[in-house]
Amino acid sequence: MSVSIVTYFARFFYIENNIKTFNYSIYVKCIYMYNNLQKKRQYDEEGGSRFMKIKRLIAAGLTATMVVGMLTACGGGSGDGGGSKKKGDTLTVAIWDTNQQDGLKQIMDDFTAETGIKTELQAMDWNAYWTLLEAGATGGEMPDVFWMHSNEAVKYMANDILLDLTDYVAKSEKLEMDKFPQELKDMYTWKDKVYAVPKDRDTIAMWYNKKMFDDAGIAYPDGSWTWDEFYEIAQKLTKDDGSQYGFACNPSNEQDTWMNIVYTMGGTIVTDDNKSGFDDPNTIKAMEFLDKCIKNVMPDANTMSETGTDVLFQSGKVAMISQGSWMVAGFKENDYMVENCDVTRLPKDATTGKSVSLYNGLGWSASAGTSMPDEAFQLIEWFGTKEMQEKQSELGVTMAAYDGASEAWAGGAEMYNLQAYIDAMEDTVFRPHTNSTLAWWNPMVEELKKPWNGEESMADACKNITSIMNEKIAEEDY
Amino acid sequence: MEAKQKATTVLIHVILILISITMLVPFLWMILTAFKTLSESTSVNPFVIFPSEWITENFAKVINNMDFPMLYLNTILLIAGRVIAAVLTATLAGYAFARLNFRGKNFMFSLVLFQMMVPGQIFIIPQYLMVSQLGALNTIFALVFPGLVTAFGTFLLRQAYMGLPKDLEEAARLDGCNIPQTFLYIMAPLTRSSMVALGIFTAVFAYKDLMWPLICNKDVMPLSAALAKMQGQYASNYPQLMAASLLACIPMIVLYLIFQKQFIEGIATSGGKL
Amino acid sequence: MRDLANPKKGTSQERNEFVWGWIFILPTMIGLIVLNIYPIFKTIYESFFKTGDFGRGNIFIGVENYAKLFGDAEVWQALINTFKYAIVEVPFSIVISLVLAVLLNRKMKGRAVYRTIFFLPMVAAPAAIAMVWRWLFNAEFGLLNHIFGTKINWVSNPSIAIFSIAIIGIWSIIGYNMVLFISGLQEIPGDYYEAASIDGATGIKQFWHITCPLLSPTIFFVMITRVIGGLQVFDLIYMVIDKNNPALYKTQSLVYLFYQNSFVENNKGYGSTIVVLLLAIIMIITVFQMWGQKKWVHYS
Repeated sequence: MSVSIVTYFARFFYIENNIKTFNYSIYVKCIYMYNNLQKKRQYDEEGGSRFMKIKRLIAAGLTATMVVGMLTACGGGSGDGGGSKKKGDTLTVAIWDTNQQDGLKQIMDDFTAETGIKTELQAMDWNAYWTLLEAGATGGEMPDVFWMHSNEAVKYMANDILLDLTDYVAKSEKLEMDKFPQELKDMYTWKDKVYAVPKDRDTIAMWYNKKMFDDAGIAYPDGSWTWDEFYEIAQKLTKDDGSQYGFACNPSNEQDTWMNIVYTMGGTIVTDDNKSGFDDPNTIKAMEFLDKCIKNVMPDANTMSETGTDVLFQSGKVAMISQGSWMVAGFKENDYMVENCDVTRLPKDATTGKSVSLYNGLGWSASAGTSMPDEAFQLIEWFGTKEMQEKQSELGVTMAAYDGASEAWAGGAEMYNLQAYIDAMEDTVFRPHTNSTLAWWNPMVEELKKPWNGEESMADACKNITSIMNEKIAEEDY
Repeated sequence: MEAKQKATTVLIHVILILISITMLVPFLWMILTAFKTLSESTSVNPFVIFPSEWITENFAKVINNMDFPMLYLNTILLIAGRVIAAVLTATLAGYAFARLNFRGKNFMFSLVLFQMMVPGQIFIIPQYLMVSQLGALNTIFALVFPGLVTAFGTFLLRQAYMGLPKDLEEAARLDGCNIPQTFLYIMAPLTRSSMVALGIFTAVFAYKDLMWPLICNKDVMPLSAALAKMQGQYASNYPQLMAASLLACIPMIVLYLIFQKQFIEGIATSGGKL
Repeated sequence: MRDLANPKKGTSQERNEFVWGWIFILPTMIGLIVLNIYPIFKTIYESFFKTGDFGRGNIFIGVENYAKLFGDAEVWQALINTFKYAIVEVPFSIVISLVLAVLLNRKMKGRAVYRTIFFLPMVAAPAAIAMVWRWLFNAEFGLLNHIFGTKINWVSNPSIAIFSIAIIGIWSIIGYNMVLFISGLQEIPGDYYEAASIDGATGIKQFWHITCPLLSPTIFFVMITRVIGGLQVFDLIYMVIDKNNPALYKTQSLVYLFYQNSFVENNKGYGSTIVVLLLAIIMIITVFQMWGQKKWVHYS
């Protein structure tokens, strides 16, 4: 080895001595190499003979194999290939709302106590949930029991991903299907087969800031007001200096705000023959009313988009907002709201006399490929019984799909007049949908941003939405 | 001369401190929020900077909700698995691409680069299906799976090897080392700091990966995925989210400090000695 | 390339290198092909279809998706947005972290502390970072406007929102770049600097003549990966810009559009087409950079 080093050094020194100008790189390269060869020598000496090296390699290899072995063994997985699981003894349940986790867990524990079937609850966020289901449906493992939403239900039903519950439901002694709203049942029925049992429902109501009403000397609304009266109140509560506004709403507050106005005024989003309802004169009338609000009693679109309407409300910036019953769990914890706010029924329309609230409901469904179909249905049935529906309300989870079982929910937050949500059930419209709702729903919200920003008139926006919706609905191929 | 050096040092420190503050402000905000109540954290009028009461409730809730020992173990296994696999494969491949000549090298390397050029979301479902067919869902192996090889790491180490003088290999060959020996005894040890950097990155990215563990595993969860559950569908409980994120940061910071002390600083002092 | 000092090498060496070369790259390549290349080709394949649900019922439509892509103003705007982001994030983050790395490479007090501080953004959960910055940038209630006394719509003004996102991007990536530069700097032996000081070159001269050339492989690497990473920006935009935000149209990146199409609107065929566009652009830019490397990257 020393021969080679010397040769190298010799070459470089020779070159160096013959070049007058001092060249960093060559000189330093030389030192660099010398250093590293020194290091190697040290390394060799430290390690001892070559044999030592091989021993070390073997040791490393063994450790690696051990680690890999540990990795596969550890973590006690269940998977044994393909889409079907071994017939285990535990039902896996998946949901996307962590707020409902504790309540549902209790109901599931009662189920286990009653039937002996074990259950396991998995909660995650919305995006992960749908990715999980999609991945499972494409060829992996699906949870046994899970939620369905009106946005996605058709896709799953039409592709036979969900377990057909028709016979189970027909034979069930505990389920009283007639106590569930018809539209909710229809939503989860496809080609005359039942694929999900309704779980809950939600309605919309108007929240208001008592303190602001007090300061302005206005009486609290009692739920018998009209939208025109609402507008006057909002005007009074809007201060010129921009520190306070009467109302707030984003284009994306569809189910919980502006769609309610449309239906209350006699308009519709989707007509009975599956066309866009945005050219209906009543719909346009409602949207123009909304436009009036946007221009006069709401903060500017930028503010509302950066800070959600609920946060604006909770910061005392806005006097009234309209919200769904699913927000109540969070509202109960908010000190500002507990102290200053309350809720009442949405205003009615002077002409029609109606105060319509949108409603939506989730469904419990099972995977078509589950290895425990009977048990899965037992759990779904359990969730749908009167007792458990009442318990769901009591625990403050959500309002029940079962008629009349929601009273307990209303009492769950004494500081608020939650009866408003129950009253809203008197006149409801199911959340508008077609077979591929999302295809037009998102562009609709996107188009509405323009009148919100003043880029386009509301009338033009309605025209554009009409054509977009009709185009997308025509493309649906279910 | 002394004064000038002192002045330079002071100036450098000033710059560093200013930049540090910029780095830290969001973190300070995170820390402050973790100790507030929900309404305080979203209150804008008045604007609350310091919590009126430093409540530890958020941390308690987070800790109670999660089985920490199991999560830490899973996280360690996940990180160890990915780091070992990635560093091993990347350093071998990096050397080959940098120093060896073989037919098909350029084509293979362009495949490596190719992988980096697409958004990662397209890999999720195909990889999930693969793991599912292997029957390995809900295991640590599933967690490690996407990180077994790394195009990024291969590229990084290739650069590192290309930065070493060619003459070293020639010297080694003169001494009778064959290729694997050259690699093992001479070239690889010289790229130690790049390997450590790769290790750090792999660890951090493995740690931050949320979507994959949530999809492929039910119980065998690493820390970050478990913390992701703190986010609700409609509203996030910000103080809890901040508390959870802070608790999650700490292991990573500790890991980094260890790596720093042991490897980077270690190498720095030995590299220059004659 | 025959080595004159060793005439005995020749073909046996070439064969040797061939065998060992392939053995060394085999684990990585198998992994990459199975895990990553196959899905990429599957995606390209999908771009020629109108995709059905769950991978079933795909209808072949040839280049229809591409025709739609070229006529889609939203896609072109997204491309511009993506470029705007990358042009700001990449140079600034590289320059800042390079300076920091060099400053922190000398022996100085508190070096470990500084390095850890700069490393912090890398370990924080992306969701937390997005949330914090979202609040900092908030026009009504944010800290920035509070401190400067202004009322700038950092993230809802269509003209500047993308640049605000770029600021967050720079902030979070400095630590990453810095780690890479520091590791690159480690491999430069101190003797170079000693030799240079002996010769009277100090400070900035050292930086230009020693650090930069010797660090150029690392700088090159960081540049390529940051450009690729920058053009793929998604998480920040997704988490900071709400869908109600008027600035969305002028801020959404190509990957954001891809995500919308593939995962939200269930139109995987068109989403895949967008991915192919992105892939093509990145490929061109990378090839350009690789070609440029021969000119200015100094390998010893």
